[in-house]
Amino acid sequence: MNYLDFFATLLPETTLVLTALAVLLVDAAGLRELKTAHRILGASLVSLLGCALSVAFVCMGHGSSYLLDGILINDPLTRLIKVAILIPGMFTCLLTPGSRLRAHPGEYFCILLLAMTGLLLLVSSENLLVIFLSLELASMCLYILAAFNTTDARSIEAGLKYFLFGGISAAFTLFGFSLIYGLTGSIDLRPIAGALGQSTDPLLMVAVVMVIAGFGFKIAAVPFHLWAPDVYEAAPLSSAAFIASGSKVASFYVLARVVITGLGGTTGVPGSQWMTLLAILAGSSMVLGNLAALTQTSVRRLLAFSAVANAGYMLIGVLAPGSGGLPALAYYLILYSITAIGAFGVVALVEARAGHDRLDAFSGLCRNSPVTAFCLMVFLLSLAGIPPLGGFFAKFYLFAAALRASPGDPLILSLVVLAIASSAVSLYYYLRVLKEVYVRPVAGAEPAPIPDLPVIGLFILAIAVILLGSFPQWLVHAVESAQAASSF
Amino acid sequence: MNAFAILWMVPLFPLLAAGVSALLPRKARKPAAGLAIGAMACSLTLSLMALANALNQAQSSPGTVQTWNFPWFQIGETWVRLGWLLDPLTALMLVMVCFVGLLIFIYSVGYMAHDSNFTRFFCFLSLFAAAMLGLLISNSLLLLFICWELVGLTSYLLIGFWFHKPSAAAAAKKAFITTRIGDMAFLLGIVWLYSATGTLLFYDHGAGCLEAGAIGELLRTVTHPGMTAATAISLLIFLGAVGKSGQFPLHTWLPDAMEGPTPVSALIHAATMVAAGVFLVARVYPLMAAVPDSQAVPVQEVMHASATAPAGEAAHAPSHHAAANAPVVSTALKVVTWTGILTAIMAAGIAIAQNDIKRILAYSTVSQLGFMMMGIGTGGVAVGMFHLITHAFFKALLFMGAGSVIHGCHEEQDIRLMGGLRKFMPVTFLTYAIGMMALSGVPLFFSGFWSKDAILHAAHGWAPSTAPFYLGLLGALLTAFYMTRQVCLVFFGAPRLGTGAQHGHTPEPPHESPAVMVVPLMLLAACALLLGFLGTPAWPWFQGFINGSGSHLDMGELWAAENLRMMGLSALVVLLGVTLGWWYYGRTSPVVGEPDPLLRISPDIYSLLENKGYLDQVYEATVVRGHAAWAAGCAWADIWLWGSLVDATRYATLGLSWCNRLIDEFLVNGLFDRFSEGLRICGGTTSRWQNGRIQFYLRFIGAGFVLLTLVLIWRSRE
Repeated sequence: MNYLDFFATLLPETTLVLTALAVLLVDAAGLRELKTAHRILGASLVSLLGCALSVAFVCMGHGSSYLLDGILINDPLTRLIKVAILIPGMFTCLLTPGSRLRAHPGEYFCILLLAMTGLLLLVSSENLLVIFLSLELASMCLYILAAFNTTDARSIEAGLKYFLFGGISAAFTLFGFSLIYGLTGSIDLRPIAGALGQSTDPLLMVAVVMVIAGFGFKIAAVPFHLWAPDVYEAAPLSSAAFIASGSKVASFYVLARVVITGLGGTTGVPGSQWMTLLAILAGSSMVLGNLAALTQTSVRRLLAFSAVANAGYMLIGVLAPGSGGLPALAYYLILYSITAIGAFGVVALVEARAGHDRLDAFSGLCRNSPVTAFCLMVFLLSLAGIPPLGGFFAKFYLFAAALRASPGDPLILSLVVLAIASSAVSLYYYLRVLKEVYVRPVAGAEPAPIPDLPVIGLFILAIAVILLGSFPQWLVHAVESAQAASSF
Repeated sequence: MNAFAILWMVPLFPLLAAGVSALLPRKARKPAAGLAIGAMACSLTLSLMALANALNQAQSSPGTVQTWNFPWFQIGETWVRLGWLLDPLTALMLVMVCFVGLLIFIYSVGYMAHDSNFTRFFCFLSLFAAAMLGLLISNSLLLLFICWELVGLTSYLLIGFWFHKPSAAAAAKKAFITTRIGDMAFLLGIVWLYSATGTLLFYDHGAGCLEAGAIGELLRTVTHPGMTAATAISLLIFLGAVGKSGQFPLHTWLPDAMEGPTPVSALIHAATMVAAGVFLVARVYPLMAAVPDSQAVPVQEVMHASATAPAGEAAHAPSHHAAANAPVVSTALKVVTWTGILTAIMAAGIAIAQNDIKRILAYSTVSQLGFMMMGIGTGGVAVGMFHLITHAFFKALLFMGAGSVIHGCHEEQDIRLMGGLRKFMPVTFLTYAIGMMALSGVPLFFSGFWSKDAILHAAHGWAPSTAPFYLGLLGALLTAFYMTRQVCLVFFGAPRLGTGAQHGHTPEPPHESPAVMVVPLMLLAACALLLGFLGTPAWPWFQGFINGSGSHLDMGELWAAENLRMMGLSALVVLLGVTLGWWYYGRTSPVVGEPDPLLRISPDIYSLLENKGYLDQVYEATVVRGHAAWAAGCAWADIWLWGSLVDATRYATLGLSWCNRLIDEFLVNGLFDRFSEGLRICGGTTSRWQNGRIQFYLRFIGAGFVLLTLVLIWRSRE
């Protein structure tokens, strides 16, 4: 094996690490004397540059390589997912100046970039050990990011909850991995799949549940979702946005890889143990997420429960036998991460001027900032799945792919029906927000105006959501050809 | 650049101008006028290029028509095709419409200067020009009909331009409805033609509906009263022309149309739109003139004429050998001739007893259109079209002169209250006099003389009857008489402006109009003088061009005995008319309030003429009253018969809806509300798990893990 290949494959990750160090250096050496706001801006620009470079390196990659028996994979689908992680990361950098950071901006961005590095490594490996290590790298960084507002007790509480919850889950995952290693004698996914066959060993059941419990925590699926509302609500906004978007993309992708490649799903036999498990997770996530969102008054918590529900929809893509649901899942992930980061961006703007994120902070938004209101409308209606927005096509594509991949399977069919019914329920809470925005008059005194620059970024995202919904064939084509060229 | 290939751009320019100025704000007066005039100038340039092209074509291959057809849409297996064509007829009409239109557009800038809806006016004018030009170039009866209706629409819009005047609104409606009657027949003709021949293209390399194959087919089909299909279709189409060109009995709308602004009267109701009917007859002349084989006709000639020359038979040119071998004349052409001459005489008579300066001109237009129809009926396309072209120029001139007079006399239109204007408005007077002499047909130097002479000549040689000829002479006499009367009353004698009962005070004296109005008058006057020389017996260029037969200068023709006799006769008639007019109206200046001299001579005839032959009253008593009675009957049936049915349905529906509402409110809504409430409670319960206590959360994971493992193991045991 050639170390040059190794280095070339890891170039995006290397860039991120170097940028993380550079951010620290620049902040310590050059920006220390400036005001915090300016330091944040400077650090965010350097990080943006690094992310952009990393995206460029990812895009420059070509072909498929499978290094060290799957420790490091570089194929078109992985590259696409890496871009889908890095772009929310870039928008997170853009959001950070508005998220009430008080100190240590250099460290914040450094950790954010390291978290992205972890996520990039996470999606490019088939080795359980590497998966676990990079998962931990990313998780550790995210715990710190969630607790970063050290002056805010709620932020610290959120970080602590996230950490404890994550720690337990990581323990489950590691236990599950070691059981699998014990059962099969391998930590590479493909040999594992070969060794497991159609085994129904109860120990394997325990291992599968443990592995899935770990990933269920990352993707916030019921019953491992309880951390999400608290963290989304109290963490610094940019951290919450990244947890909801970039982190979610990577976790879903690696979950799909582990269960499909590693746990015998490639044979396409229905009734594999993990399928039942994931179906339970999917159904309960959709139902519980949508129901709990109905009564929320905090928009961030509302988005958290909406994320739980969306995790339920996306699990249908993982459940589709073989890899038939994968392109649709990738499409949904990309669309969802764009939409989520956009929605969090609007929340950030509103929170910055109202001081809180309760529903009444949004009242009258369409009067004093019609563009922001329009963007929020696009994001929320896309989440609700209203045509011609991207969310509609993503749902349609996902459900259609799942049904096509398993004609007549009652499990998938009932899940799809449940998904459609519960997304009808979800329209109610999205419209509650939009009602505040468009119908209610401004509450109290005229709030401060919303700055223009972030609105432009959000507007670009909104246009992207509309375009991806109106002309889905661009992305569909990209996703399908990437999957066809990959070993997944 | 081949002018034929871009012929479609001729109507495009005004259409774009209309579209753009429709979007302009009301204040944008200058851009609107500039756009309209610029577009018209572009169209004029293209039309001149087209004329040059047609002249070349006439040189190289006389008697051919250039066509360009394209598919429009498909129904089943059939493609509906449209197209445009260029032949001498179209080329000359294009230049005439563009030129007169351009002058009138310029004139309107002055005339409408004080109107608050200036922009809208120019938008409508441009739309009209576009439709009219489209009508001229279309090679399909369907496209022609579309443009025909558009022309009718713009005419309606422009007559009713001052819609706040009830009379204008009524006149607009009258014009629209009356012409619709003709259009209905026209449409029937089109449908019949399409079902009989399967095409509406005029010329389509032998497959068009005006070409030998289709006409031969139509001639072989005999319909119920013994007419051939060709005759029946011709008559239906002619009814359309009757409506549009104000022929008896559908002429009553045209004088009322004078409620529109004067430039509109000049452009639409004198020079161009009303000529569309005549143009239509000229366009479908091969169909109109077709005669079945069984009658002893030189078949070859007819076939030849319909296959090659769109316009007319060489034998019918107004040259002296017209009457040589009396050919059989088709029924359609006989109807055209008789309708024309009847209209000409009747309208000329009515014109004598009118006092509104524009109304006189309107009846004169009706009368002249009758002459054109007669010209086409007796002498073929060239004769009628020659009069159409010359008439367009001098009638536009007269209308714009009348507009200038009205403008100068502070909106006074009654000629009895004018008088002596020649001192105040010298340019208007001079140009008006030229127009009047051209219309009256004063010999030698005025275009109307030559064109009217050609018609009389053709009528003289008409085989079926000589009555049209004598009636035509009478029409010429009347024309000269009423025009002399009008000019005497308006321009000569003592000034009477402001002495009418409606003017309590003495207004300021009349004034000459601004240059923007007077210059177009002078240009048109020049044309009224010069155009006649294109079609004299000595050099029948016009006839040669239209018929595709070529022409040469031969002064000897002028002195041929027959021509000389005809010219002398017509000159004599005109002079008699002018003298009579002067005798009654010019000799002594009439006094306001004194009855008209003719009234004293024959009160009965005068009042008959003054009341337009009571035709409006007859229509009122028959058509309108009958219609109202029918409408009342329908209303009665509607209220009592259908109304009670509707009411019964209504109550039945109401009862059903009421039941439905009960079900909806208590069953559906109740259940839905209950369900929604249930959802909300579930939501509350699930979010209560979210109690913020991490201990509980971790227990929850543990419980979840155990539960899931149990489920899995239980399932795999099965």
